[in-house]
Amino acid sequence: MLSPVKIWRNQKKIRSLLNKNGEILSFTKVYVPPAGFEAQAPYVVAVAKLDDKTRIIAQLVEWEDQDLKIGKKVHTILRRTKDPGIEGIIPYGIKLKPLD
Amino acid sequence: MNVSILAGATTKFGELWSASPRRMVREVVDLVRAQSGLSLAKIDGIFVGNMLSSSLGNQDHLGAFFAEELGLNVPAVKVEAACASVGMAVHLAFLSVLSGRYKNVLVIGIEKMTDFKPETVNNALMGAGSDPEREAGATFPALYALIARAHMEKYGTREMEMAQVSVKNHYHASLNSHAQFTRLITLEDVLKSPLVASPLKILDCSPLTDGAAALILSSANDKKGVSFVASAVATDTLGLSQRQDLTSLKAARLASRQAYTQAKVTPNDIDVAEVHDCFTIAEIIAMEDLGFFKKGEAAAAIFAKKTWLGSGRPVVNTSGGLKAAGHPVGATGVKQVVEIFNQLTAKAGKKQVKNARIGLTHNVGGSGATCVIHILKRN
Repeated sequence: MLSPVKIWRNQKKIRSLLNKNGEILSFTKVYVPPAGFEAQAPYVVAVAKLDDKTRIIAQLVEWEDQDLKIGKKVHTILRRTKDPGIEGIIPYGIKLKPLD
Repeated sequence: MNVSILAGATTKFGELWSASPRRMVREVVDLVRAQSGLSLAKIDGIFVGNMLSSSLGNQDHLGAFFAEELGLNVPAVKVEAACASVGMAVHLAFLSVLSGRYKNVLVIGIEKMTDFKPETVNNALMGAGSDPEREAGATFPALYALIARAHMEKYGTREMEMAQVSVKNHYHASLNSHAQFTRLITLEDVLKSPLVASPLKILDCSPLTDGAAALILSSANDKKGVSFVASAVATDTLGLSQRQDLTSLKAARLASRQAYTQAKVTPNDIDVAEVHDCFTIAEIIAMEDLGFFKKGEAAAAIFAKKTWLGSGRPVVNTSGGLKAAGHPVGATGVKQVVEIFNQLTAKAGKKQVKNARIGLTHNVGGSGATCVIHILKRN
């Protein structure tokens, strides 16, 4: 369940992951989504290693077919993550964008 | 102290819309009671393995729930460790008998999954993952797809080799009257089935299943029976992305090494194994983590039928595994032990492995954050 308090607490962590470069360690295109992500499917989820060695899992956005490969350089950005649900608070989080 | 198995049974696995959890548990407990000849009054404690009763079924306090159903007033508790819930329940039941405090213990595994929409179940299952995984919209097929892609990149593992795991497990399930899917499938069926999370297709994935299973563990010395020679558990990071290596489960490596030491056996001594093939790639990695094959060599070995009934050792997933026998998450770990128990007592029917003496179970929670290993031996 999406608690407004939990969203507020977690958003403090986002800043430390923003505006970083890294590379894709693995990726998958999700065709069968969980509840709250139906409108986005199919979407790409990737594991990336950032330049500071932090490893994260996040969606890849603004990709083209040639970006879907292990080793692809990516950049962390702030995006809306899922449906707001009945609380109406729009949850934001980290996503990855391919670097040229 | 010797901890032995007096009896083990499962319901039929599948879409059991007409059966309630109470009825399913009553059915398996009646079976183990009849098999063991032990009166329920001799049971000292109940360990219930279950993952989703809270998030899907709106029922907590599952220990008392089933104690009531069985008319008992003994200690009863639900154990939760995602898909390894009931493997963990067996571990704790084992320790309780080993301590000398309890003589006879009942372990119940139960899950009811098909009453709900798949999206709802997918969401509830992701309770076993981490916050960032949920935020990314990852599902369990997606997490194992990430593992599969990394394994393919590092070892050249092919989709056709993954598909062979499903073909084998459907073959084994065709010999199991309690399996969810008893039809044979081909490599082409798997490869042409719809994508769930690339590169995993629907026939690479274990299904949603209703099912229950039960075991009675005892300190009674049964000279012709089956005893535990190892019970080991290890844990790892909840989230997949925190791990240094995506192509192996550290918890499985740690728990199996401990188990082999406890049992004083090596992987070569294992005649039959039930492993956690929630996805086809998971069985390939399990073969490597358990030491049956070298890293990167399991996919080819499975493809060459080295773990198939009648053509190699160890024979893996004679029940049909999670893929084809079905995966009621809270019941899978005990179903694995029941299958090995039947193999070691020569009661496995058409899927019997000849002269099976030592068997292993490998039950994984989440994407590898918990792993429970048991090794059983015919006395």
